[in-house]
Amino acid sequence: MTRAQQTLSIGLLLSSIYMVAFLGLAPLPEKLQTDVIPVLPFWAIVTFGAYLLAKLGYGVLTFNDVPQAHQELVKQIEQARVELKKKGVEVN
Amino acid sequence: MAATKHKYSILLPTYNERRNLPIITYLLEQTFSQAGLDWELIIVDDGSPDGTQTVANQLIKAYNTRGAGGERIKLKPRAGKLGLGTAYVHGLQFVTGDFVVIMDADFSHHPKFLPIMIEKQREADYDIVTGTRYAGDGGVYGWDLKRKLVSRGANLVADTVLRPGVSDLTGSFRLYKRGVLEKVIKATESKGYSFQMEMMVRAKAMGFKVAECPITFVDRLYGESKLGGEEIAEYLKGVFNLWYKV
Repeated sequence: MTRAQQTLSIGLLLSSIYMVAFLGLAPLPEKLQTDVIPVLPFWAIVTFGAYLLAKLGYGVLTFNDVPQAHQELVKQIEQARVELKKKGVEVN
Repeated sequence: MAATKHKYSILLPTYNERRNLPIITYLLEQTFSQAGLDWELIIVDDGSPDGTQTVANQLIKAYNTRGAGGERIKLKPRAGKLGLGTAYVHGLQFVTGDFVVIMDADFSHHPKFLPIMIEKQREADYDIVTGTRYAGDGGVYGWDLKRKLVSRGANLVADTVLRPGVSDLTGSFRLYKRGVLEKVIKATESKGYSFQMEMMVRAKAMGFKVAECPITFVDRLYGESKLGGEEIAEYLKGVFNLWYKV
């Protein structure tokens, strides 16, 4: 099953369940039927969008910076140059 | 109890890496001899005009020895820029190890992580070990806010659309069992940027066991990194293509 098939199947399933609720085919408490069900899709999309944005922001903020790795590398490159020149390899 | 002897083959496609190649080779040699592991380096150069092959030959003279297992470095060039996927296929023909490492030649991927990845692989006989910049104490150096935003954004798109179960989908620092790499490459169709992504998604879909290893990614010290609007469009196309196909 491709991811496309997976996503579309789940989408279809959720849509069917929603349609049942939306068309009043299932016995639901009055408040739920009139106040919640009609706006559920929009609410779900907005919440999902907000969740993704939060994930992105969090990811960027907690992106690990590694200056020590850079310093270590620069040192190693110098070492490498010295050794390589000795072995007759041109560096730079 | 006799342990099977393992050999690690580094597949390094190069294009204009004259300055980086000797250093990365030096670091690889250091890492592997300190860890006491058997290794080889296969350089697949796509006809670089900057003298990469000359340096490769100097490295061969400097590091290869006569006798069993002495041919550490092999240069297997091609006539021109023929693409990353085919470079791997080409290089794979000359691999004599049972494990293959894919990495970048510009030391954004540091060989010091290889023993860690190898150890990780042994833990549960994983088929693939992939480096991640996003989890654990992985990280980057030299990335401004824009680059971080684009990178996280790209990974988020891929993560949401493809749900791959791997934290760093676009990374290309990986250790594969040789047979696994051969199978995955055969199934992969993308070119360019999407190639590494597709390999991972396909591998997961084929049921291979993948482990992750935090790595630090130090941005190019020499050379320009290419990331423009066109690349982003290509990337998004690649992700949706994978969503549809795999």
